[in-house]
Amino acid sequence: MKVARFLIFGVFAVALFYQTASAQERLKMSTTTSTQDSGLLKVLLPPFEKKHNVKVDVIAVGTGQALKLGEAGDVDVVFVHARKLEDKFLADGFGVNRRDVMYNDFVIIGPKGDPAGISKAKSAAQALKSIAAKGSIFISRGDKSGTHTKEKELWQTAGIDPKGSWYIEAGQGMGPVITMATERQGYTMADRGTFNAFKGKKTDLAVLFDGEKGLFNPYGIIAVNPKKHPHVKYDLAMQFIDFVTSPEGLRIISGYKVNGEPVFFTYRK
Amino acid sequence: MNAQLLLTSVQKCYGNKIGLELKKLALWPGRLYILTGPNGSGKSTLLNILALLTKPERGELMYAGERITWKSRELSLLRKKVTLMHQSPYLFAGTVSDNVAFGLKARGVSGEELRRSVAESLAMVGLDSFEERNVTQLSGGEARRVALARALAAKPELLLLDEPLAHVDKESAEVIEKLIASLPARGTTVVMSTHDQHQNDRLGGEMIQLHGGRLEQPFGLVDNLDTSECKVNGAPLCPALKMHIA
Amino acid sequence: MDFIRESFQTSLTLILALDRDVVSAVWTSVSVAVWSIILASLIGIPLGLTIAIGNFPLKRWVITSLNTLMAMPTVVIGLVVYGIISRQGPLGGFGLLFTPSAMIVGQTVLAIPIVANYTLSSIKGADQRILPTALTLGASPLQSVFQLIREVRFGIMAAVIAGFGRVISEVGVAMMLGGNIQGYTRTMTTAIALETSKGEFAFGLALGGILMTVALMVNLILNFMQQR
Repeated sequence: MKVARFLIFGVFAVALFYQTASAQERLKMSTTTSTQDSGLLKVLLPPFEKKHNVKVDVIAVGTGQALKLGEAGDVDVVFVHARKLEDKFLADGFGVNRRDVMYNDFVIIGPKGDPAGISKAKSAAQALKSIAAKGSIFISRGDKSGTHTKEKELWQTAGIDPKGSWYIEAGQGMGPVITMATERQGYTMADRGTFNAFKGKKTDLAVLFDGEKGLFNPYGIIAVNPKKHPHVKYDLAMQFIDFVTSPEGLRIISGYKVNGEPVFFTYRK
Repeated sequence: MNAQLLLTSVQKCYGNKIGLELKKLALWPGRLYILTGPNGSGKSTLLNILALLTKPERGELMYAGERITWKSRELSLLRKKVTLMHQSPYLFAGTVSDNVAFGLKARGVSGEELRRSVAESLAMVGLDSFEERNVTQLSGGEARRVALARALAAKPELLLLDEPLAHVDKESAEVIEKLIASLPARGTTVVMSTHDQHQNDRLGGEMIQLHGGRLEQPFGLVDNLDTSECKVNGAPLCPALKMHIA
Repeated sequence: MDFIRESFQTSLTLILALDRDVVSAVWTSVSVAVWSIILASLIGIPLGLTIAIGNFPLKRWVITSLNTLMAMPTVVIGLVVYGIISRQGPLGGFGLLFTPSAMIVGQTVLAIPIVANYTLSSIKGADQRILPTALTLGASPLQSVFQLIREVRFGIMAAVIAGFGRVISEVGVAMMLGGNIQGYTRTMTTAIALETSKGEFAFGLALGGILMTVALMVNLILNFMQQR
């Protein structure tokens, strides 16, 4: 037993040594996959990192998991898009100083032929109703992400409890779900940014329903509460939040384009 | 005078079968013993116990008057004085020299002394200048002689040889037999097992005959065996067997 | 299969241009795997030896559980270690989660059963006379065990290589404990997973080709060492 304890200690000693070998300060941020997959962070982070001589470690997961990481104190700042979950996160005292950063919108995409005829729908809820009525394949994220949360809200509004062989819960990120919908020629709901990045070469699906207020997709940034987790780098997190919401940060966000189209929009000040 | 090795009431079981059962066996310093008996009579078991590689379930061993306690440190010391050459010896991967030097290195011999001892031992078995030969290139008889040289290099007080002449070519057999015969005069106690009933005539050693794990009363070995104690009626049961009956 | 040709071109371009992200992912993969396999060998080889030579109660049970651990999915190992080193876990104070160190810990745990098991079977397959021969020639138990290791060194080398192969090719532990952070904990495998999720199949496959090349080089080096 003594030997076992010694060895466990040894592994951690080496691991810690490896850890401290890199001296640069690091800020840990959990975020939704869309901010990373769209490529936005690649242009947003370097100016901040240079200015403050710090490295931002991005852990890109679903919004639900991103917030869980904040709750556990495993990250210093969260950058997500699910207003209801964010509010609960704040109310429970895990986060402080939430700021609006940017928005885009969700779109319902599907095969160009539109077998369920949702392009004529009056609302997103109605679009989902006709998909369910027709029994057309619908791929759901099924991963408690911001997109999934929004999708569930819409089903609720439509008064439908989606079940059956047509409703597929993928349990994957936005990218794989779009790929899956393309392969199965089904419908799904995606954020416009990720869809734009896939449009054309990677998918032949098209936007069939968009432009509704209910499909608004706001992104917020929240510092993890240092009162809950004293070890978090609160000051650095606030510096980052200030940078992202500064005129410089917002200009980078609104100027970022994929395939010539903007991905995220900032609020007019 | 103390016996080199004295075994009293020793018993070794395999499952619930008796492998070896000795009331008393004394090996006197500087003598040559020839161990005979049919297959499965316990020859190898006895040699392994004498080599202190197998601990018997019961009984007591005395080495030069000292009781053996089977503690790890004590065993390491005693095994530097007692060496067994197995029936089909294992040679370590590498050269002949690596093998012969093994026991010497374990005793802290190094440098020029090591080199000289290795050469001497190889000369004794008639394999001069075989040092750098790889063990994979040796014939069966040569391998046996290398193993013998390896055992002799460590200069044991008690040398145990399990069938050293089985399956060996004539030339090697002659070399080995001659060497064995010369050892008692140099103060080494030797026990060798054999199938060859005439071995004793040529080597002039004392016979230890085993049968079914027990000693057969030999002729002319009064000082070796306490004959009165040998005639016990009904052997004690092995522990495992006892449990079986209970 | 147009994208296989495309991926082949992409991987060549990436290698020739020494793409910064690719170089960093290769470096992370290799350095984390090397550290892990060193630690796993330091623990796994003695463990396998002890189980092979030792006589202790529940020995069969220990071997069975070692075999079971070999089949343990990497995500389960990831989860268990995650629970231990997360801020809420018993070792949370070190702040190891989402660092290369976390991956080293996880991959070490992953490789130990493999190294131990291969060591165990190579010793079981070794000649039974090695230990008694060394002992009777006067070697101490420790010296005898070292001689045994020397005799089965090819088997033990195979154990280390197998462990290395498992560690460098796994994605579950690296993803869960490393967090796939660009330029820091992004390995070849997590980069492939990411590119796949982005629908960049050709790019992902190109990275896969590079990973195979790296593995080939490592194995060639080990093979070379083995011959000496």
